[in-house]
Amino acid sequence: MSGSKPDILWSPHHPDRYVICDSELGLYRIGPVGGTETKPGTLPLSEETAATLLAINSDTPYMKCVAWYPKHEPECLLAVGQANGRVVLTSLGQSHNSTCKELVGKEFVPKHARQCNTLAWNPVDNNLLAAGLDKHRADFSVLIWDISSKFAPETSVAAEKIRISTVDLDSSMVVTKPLYELGQNDACLSLCWLFRDPKLLLAGMHRNLAIFDLRNTSQKMFVNTKAIQGVTVDPHFHDRVASFFEGQVAIWDLRKFEKPVLTLTEQSKPLTKVAWCPTRTGLLATLTRDSNVIRLYDMQHTPTPIGDETEPTIIERSVQPCESQIGSFAWHPSSQNRMVVVSATNRVMTDFTVFERISLAWSSTTSLMWACGRHLYDCAEDSAEGAESTVEKDIATKMRERAQSRYGHDTLQVWRNHLLAGGNDPQLKSLWYDLSYILYVSHMKQCAEDMELKLQGNKQSLVYSGIKNIIRTSSGTTESRRCWIGSDRQTDVPRFSSEERCLALRLCGWISRGPDIDVETFLRSLEQEREWERAAAIALFNLDIRRAIQILNKGATMEKGDLNLNVVAMALSGYTDEKSSLWREMCSSLRLQLKNPYLCIMFAFLTSEPGAYDGVLYESSVAVRDRVAFACMFLSDAQLPHYIDKLTNEMKEAGNLEGILLTGLTKDGVDLMESFVDRTGDVQTASFCTLKGSPGEVLKDPRVQCWIENYRNLLDAWRFWHKRAEFDILRGKLDPSSKPLAQVFVSCNFCGKSISYSCSAMPHQGRGFSQYGVSGSPTKSKVTSCPGCRKPLPRCALCLMNMGTPVSSCSGPGKSDEKVDLTRENKLSQFNNWFTWCHNCRHGGHAGHMLSWFRDHTECPVSACTCKCMQLDTTGNLVPADSS
Amino acid sequence: MDLHILDHRLRVTCISKNGLANFTHALIKLIFLRNRTRCKFFSLTETPENYTVVLDEEGFKELQPSEHLQVESSTWLPLNVVSNGNISSSSQAVGVTKIAKSVIAPLAQQHVSVFMLSTYQTDFILVREKDLSVVISTLEEEFNIYREVEGESVPVGCQNVSNVLQKNGKEALHPTVHPVLIPQNQFGVMSLDPDTLPSIATTLIDVLFYSNSPKVDSQSSPNQDLDCIKFFSFSLIDGYISLVMDTEAQRQFPADLLFTSSSRELWRMVRIGGQPLGFDECGIVAQISQPLADGDISAYYISTFSFDHALVTHTRCHRASSVPLQQNATEPSLLDELVKFPPTAKGSRVFLFYSLCS
Repeated sequence: MSGSKPDILWSPHHPDRYVICDSELGLYRIGPVGGTETKPGTLPLSEETAATLLAINSDTPYMKCVAWYPKHEPECLLAVGQANGRVVLTSLGQSHNSTCKELVGKEFVPKHARQCNTLAWNPVDNNLLAAGLDKHRADFSVLIWDISSKFAPETSVAAEKIRISTVDLDSSMVVTKPLYELGQNDACLSLCWLFRDPKLLLAGMHRNLAIFDLRNTSQKMFVNTKAIQGVTVDPHFHDRVASFFEGQVAIWDLRKFEKPVLTLTEQSKPLTKVAWCPTRTGLLATLTRDSNVIRLYDMQHTPTPIGDETEPTIIERSVQPCESQIGSFAWHPSSQNRMVVVSATNRVMTDFTVFERISLAWSSTTSLMWACGRHLYDCAEDSAEGAESTVEKDIATKMRERAQSRYGHDTLQVWRNHLLAGGNDPQLKSLWYDLSYILYVSHMKQCAEDMELKLQGNKQSLVYSGIKNIIRTSSGTTESRRCWIGSDRQTDVPRFSSEERCLALRLCGWISRGPDIDVETFLRSLEQEREWERAAAIALFNLDIRRAIQILNKGATMEKGDLNLNVVAMALSGYTDEKSSLWREMCSSLRLQLKNPYLCIMFAFLTSEPGAYDGVLYESSVAVRDRVAFACMFLSDAQLPHYIDKLTNEMKEAGNLEGILLTGLTKDGVDLMESFVDRTGDVQTASFCTLKGSPGEVLKDPRVQCWIENYRNLLDAWRFWHKRAEFDILRGKLDPSSKPLAQVFVSCNFCGKSISYSCSAMPHQGRGFSQYGVSGSPTKSKVTSCPGCRKPLPRCALCLMNMGTPVSSCSGPGKSDEKVDLTRENKLSQFNNWFTWCHNCRHGGHAGHMLSWFRDHTECPVSACTCKCMQLDTTGNLVPADSS
Repeated sequence: MDLHILDHRLRVTCISKNGLANFTHALIKLIFLRNRTRCKFFSLTETPENYTVVLDEEGFKELQPSEHLQVESSTWLPLNVVSNGNISSSSQAVGVTKIAKSVIAPLAQQHVSVFMLSTYQTDFILVREKDLSVVISTLEEEFNIYREVEGESVPVGCQNVSNVLQKNGKEALHPTVHPVLIPQNQFGVMSLDPDTLPSIATTLIDVLFYSNSPKVDSQSSPNQDLDCIKFFSFSLIDGYISLVMDTEAQRQFPADLLFTSSSRELWRMVRIGGQPLGFDECGIVAQISQPLADGDISAYYISTFSFDHALVTHTRCHRASSVPLQQNATEPSLLDELVKFPPTAKGSRVFLFYSLCS
C-alpha cells in the first residue's frame, strides 16, 4: 500500500542503524558524510551525516505497526503487525543464521482477523510480544504471544480449514494460541509495558486506559478517558506516562491514575506521534499531522523547599528539522537530543539534533555559570593582576574588593577613602577630596569658630549645597586688576573676589583659608605629587608667571622629568601682552598640539581676551575643580552662574562625580549620583557618599534609601555579614533615624515585663541588640533574676545555670583562655552570654553554648526534644565570607 | 453488562432494484469517500427484492427523494451491548444468541419492535426513538445503560417511571408464525481494512451494482427454497467495515484482503417471512433467537426492509428445512433442537426448524 504513513525505528543495539517502514521496510546505516566522493545510494541527512541503505524487505504487505526485537541476538528481528491482525516476525539484512531462522517467518494469527494496531515487546521477558487489535465482538483485543512457542496443537486443524487463503505457509510457523488474552469485547489502540514491573501492561483501549497484570489476568485497573492513543512510558520516570487523543496530550502518573496530572495545550490538528526523549529527562516531542514542526515540551519538576505539590513548569517550543512536512520522527536511543525525521512523502530523511536550552546563573560573586545539555560552563572574571588587564573589572568585583578594604569607613581622613577604593579612579578621587573639603570647611565653621570665616548661620548648610548655590548667593564682588607678580607690568586681566568666591576656592582645594588667596601651600603639595603642569597652570592663573616657570623647570630637572617642560617654560617666558605679536599668534595656534591639557590651557589663558576664557573653561580634560576655581577668579558675576549652571548640567547628565563639587549633597547632587549609579551600578560609593556628608533631607530621598538597602542586600548576598553590621553601625551614627526600633524583647516568664528594663542605664529606651543580652553592669548583684519581680531567669539548657550567669567554661582547647577572659568584666556583655532560643521548640540558653552544641548536633540539647532546631534556620549553616 | 445507546440517529430506507441508478452516486460517495461525508453509520444490504440502506441523518441527506426510495418514517437508535469482558461467558456462541435472553426477549415482551443488524464487529439492536423510554425501563434492571453523547458515555438513570407501565401495542397475542426459507448458498461474515477499500473498489462496485443474479426470482417460485439467493451486505460503521456475502461473491475478492475468523466458518441463512414483514410486528427476532440461545447456537441476524435474515453456523446446521407438521405431532426425541412455532392466525402451517449436532 503506497499511502501508508511512514515510521522510524532505531535499532536498540546499533546506534547507527534504523529502519524506515512505510510500504516496505528499509534498513539504513547512518554515518559521517564520506568526504568528497559520495557513494551511490548514500543519502545526505545533514551537513555531517549521511545514510546508506543496507537492506529492503517487502515480504510483509499491509503493515500496520512494527516493533524491533529488543535482544542482542538475533539483532535485526522485527515484528510486523498486519492489517488482518497477523503478527509476522521478519528480519532485515541478515544472513540466515540458525537463531534467526527459527524465528523469521513465524506468524501469530488471532482467532478473528482485524487490524493490528500496535505491538510491544516485553522489555525483560523478551519472548513476550503484546499485540493490540481492533474490536471483534466478544473476542479479546490484547493478545500476548510467546515467540518461542514451538507450534500450537491446533495448527494442523487450522491449516486444514484454510480454504480461501492462498497463503501457503509452513504450518509449524503459524501460532494461533496466544499466551494471554486480555481486553475482551474491546479495542486496543496502543500498548506499552511498564518498566516498573514487566508483568504490567498498559493498554489504550476504546475510551479507557487499562493496566493489565499478567499474574492475574481477570483483574484490570482502568480509567475512562479519551486520551488512549500512543501510550508511552517516560524512560526516566517510570510512573509517568503520556497518551494522546486528537490534538491533546495527557500526562499520567501511574501512582495517581484517576485523572491526568497534566494536559498539554491542545493542537489544532490531530497528533500522530508522541515520544519521550530517551537521553534527557522530561522532554516530550509531539508531532501533528501535516506539520513541519516538532513541538517539544520540557517538563521539569523542581521540588520546592516547602515541599508543596507544585505544577511542574513546562517550557514549550517548536523545532523545524526540515522544510517538508514530517511523516514521523524517532529519538536516537543514546545520542543526546538527536532524532531522525522522515518526510511525509518521498522518504526524505533528516538527521537533527535539538539544541538544548541554555540556562544561565550569576553568582553573587560575579562568576557566571551556564549549562547546555550535559555541559556546565563556569566563567569567572579574569583576575590576571600583573597584566594590567585592558578590561575593567566588573563593578560588583570592585565593590566586593572595596568592601573588604573597608572602603568608605575612614571617617577621619575622608579623602583617604579613594585610596581604599584602589586609588586609580579619578572620579572617586575627586569625589572623596570634595567630600573631605566640604567636611573640613564645615568642621572648621562648627568647631573652630574661625573668625575669618564666620558667616551667617544660614551659610552653615551652604557648604553642603555646592558651589552652584554658593555662587548664586554671592554678593559684593570686587573687581581688581593686579600686576604680574614679580613684574611691574600691569595686566588687563580683571580678577574677581568675594567671600563666597573665596569659599568656593577653598572647596576647590586651591586655598586653605581666606580671604587672601594664597595658593603657595597648594602648589607645594602639587609639586610633591609631581603634578608639574597642573601646579604651573595654577601658579600662572595666580598671575605668578615666574613661579610657573620655576615649577616647570623643577619638573624638567627632576629625576625622570620631562625635558619638554623646559621648552614650555621658555615659551612661557616669552609672554607678551601685545595683541599682534608673533608670540601670541603662534602660541594660540600651536597650543592645540600640546598633549597635556594644563599646558594647553596655560597658553589659552595667556592668549585669550579678558573675559573670554572658553579655551580654559571648556577643556574637558582639565579637572572640574580647577576649571571651577579658575572661573571663580576670572568670570564676572554675570558670566559665572551661567557657566556653573552649564557645567553642572553637563556633570549631572554624564553622572560625573566631579560634579559633586558643584551640586554639593543636595537634591541636585542626588540627581547626579542617580545618573552615576545608572551608569556604573556603584551603589556602594553612592551609599557612603550620601551618608557621609548629608543633612537629613537628602537621606530621606527614596533613591538614597534604595541605594543603601541595595548595598546592604549586596553585602548579605556576599555573606559579608560583619561588613554589613559595620555599615549599619556607621549608618546609625550618621543617620540616627535609620536605627531600627527594638522589635524583640525578652520578657520574664513570671511578670511578663521585659528583663532589659533595669539592665541598662536608660531602662525605657530600646538599645538595639543589647535587648537580647544582659548588658547591664556586672556590678549589679542580681543579673540572674528578673529586674521586675526578682524571680530567676530561665536556665540555659546546656549549663543549667540561670540566664544572666556568664558563660563559665566551654569544652575544647580554648578553655584556659576563656577563664582568663572571664575575669574581665566586659565579658558579660559578649555574645556568648546572649539569650538565644529556638522559635519552634522554645528551648535555648547561652548563645555560646548553643553554638558549640549545634556544631556537632542537629537535635535540640533538651532531652526528649527531637526538634531539629538548627536545620529550621536556612541560613544557620552558612558561614560569613568575611572574617573579622 | 453495559448497554450503550449510541450517538447515531438512523433512518431505514429501501431502494428498489429498478431505481438503483438514481442512487449510485450517493452510495459510492458514502462507501468510498468517507472524508467527503459526515456519515458515521452506513449499511447497505442487497436482497433479491431490493436494497436496504440504513444510515444516519448526515448520510440520509445524500439520498435524493425519489419514487424508488422508500423511507421508514421513524428515527431509529442503535443499541449495543458491551460485556466489559468481566463476565467470562460459558457460552461459546456468538452473535444474537448472547443477547437473545437479556435484550431481545424482554423487548419483545414489551412489544418493542427491533431491527437487528449484525456485523463482523458487533450486533446493533435498532429501536425506534419513541420507544426509548420503554427500552430503558425494560432493560435497566439487567444493564447499566449509557447514552453516548459526543463521545462521552453518560449513564442513563430511571427518569421516566411513568413509562414503565406503558406497554406498546395490544396485549400479547401469540406471535405470527412466518415461513422461513433456507437457501443453499453459504455465507461468510468478514471485515476489511478501511485503508484497502480503494484497492477493491471496482470489485465491490461490481458486486453491489452489477449483480444480475439469474436465480434472483425466489418470490415467484416458492419451491426454490433450496436454491441460492442473492444476499450481500456492506456496512461502514464508525470506521469499521463489515461484509456479508456468499462464497460465490467472495471468490471475486482478493483472498488476503478479507479478514475473517481463523476458523473461517461458513454460515447458512434462514430467511424469515413470506410476505414483507413490516416494521410494527414485534417478537420475530425473539422467536428465532430464543431457541437458538437455548441450544447455544451462534447466529447472526440481519434485518432488511422486507425480511429478516438469520445466519446460523454451517457446521451446526446440517439439515435445516421447512417441514409442514401437524400441530401436535412433534418428535422431540429425534431432534436435538426443536423450534416449534405456534399456529398462525391464518392457519395450519407449522415450521419446524432444527439443527443437528454433527
